[in-house]
Amino acid sequence: MKKIWTILILLMMLISISSYAIADDAGEDEEEQGDVDSETQKEIGIMNTPLGAEIRLLQLKKALLINILKANMTIEVLKGLEFDEENLTALEEILDQMKELFEVINTTDPSSEDSVQAFVENKSLAKNLTKEFRDAIRDLLDDEDLIALREQIKAMISEEVQNIGKYIHSRIRQFNRNQLYRLYGLIGETDNSFIEQYLNGDVTLGLAKLQICKIINNMTKDRRYLIFSEIKEENIKKKINAEAFIDEMHNKGKGKGKWG
Amino acid sequence: MNKKIISIFFLLILMVSIAFAYIYFNQGETNQNQYDSSGKNVNDTDVANEIDDMFIEEDDEIEIGEIV
Repeated sequence: MKKIWTILILLMMLISISSYAIADDAGEDEEEQGDVDSETQKEIGIMNTPLGAEIRLLQLKKALLINILKANMTIEVLKGLEFDEENLTALEEILDQMKELFEVINTTDPSSEDSVQAFVENKSLAKNLTKEFRDAIRDLLDDEDLIALREQIKAMISEEVQNIGKYIHSRIRQFNRNQLYRLYGLIGETDNSFIEQYLNGDVTLGLAKLQICKIINNMTKDRRYLIFSEIKEENIKKKINAEAFIDEMHNKGKGKGKWG
Repeated sequence: MNKKIISIFFLLILMVSIAFAYIYFNQGETNQNQYDSSGKNVNDTDVANEIDDMFIEEDDEIEIGEIV
């Protein structure tokens, strides 16, 4: 009798442990995806093409450049206020690291296999360095001075930033033009002049999207569903690509540390 | 008497296990069926949202945080 009870208890324990193992496995998967934030995951969705990768790297370069220029200006302002050299050295060290990172991003080849990994890791580094600088500044200035400093550097205009901004804009238009061609291809129509008008800036992206929506919405129910499914499939593929990139990075970088 | 109780207990465990297994393996299929049955009714917003996802907004930027 005792043996039967022991077997029963063991059986129950086995069922409990196996269900816990299944739940734990699912949790692990979620946690692994959580290493790269959802925003970054969305951003790398377009990096399966060299143009998409180029756009993301340029955007990261621009964001970091703005922070480098602002950090530079902040240090100059603090020097003018005759702050301790020791405090300023810490800020200058962070600034140097940001400049080094800028060079790394600048020399990353968008068409290389590692461009996605480079983007994710360098974005994470840029965020960390920015936070480090911000924390160091908060130790030096009170709230009132911080507000005054923010106002002073807000209006900062740099020709270099403006040029990168213009270039990114033109690359995004190129990317969207390619997408318009894809969409017209799915629909089975082509309006070359309309697409070129978008590329030249004569038509806004909103208008171009509206035009496509109108064409699809005027289709028969079945045709409309078919086109919708194909567009949805493309978007799902993009998300799967992003997840595959992240999985690949996990496999490559196990033990190297985490990014976010 | 004891044998009966043990048999009932065993049966109970077996039934609960089968129920859990059935629910677990049919969950995906149920979701798929729900998608398929509602799929053909695509509204304007669904189309617009999917089209939006295909493009990059021209003012799109990457956020790394403010320096100050």
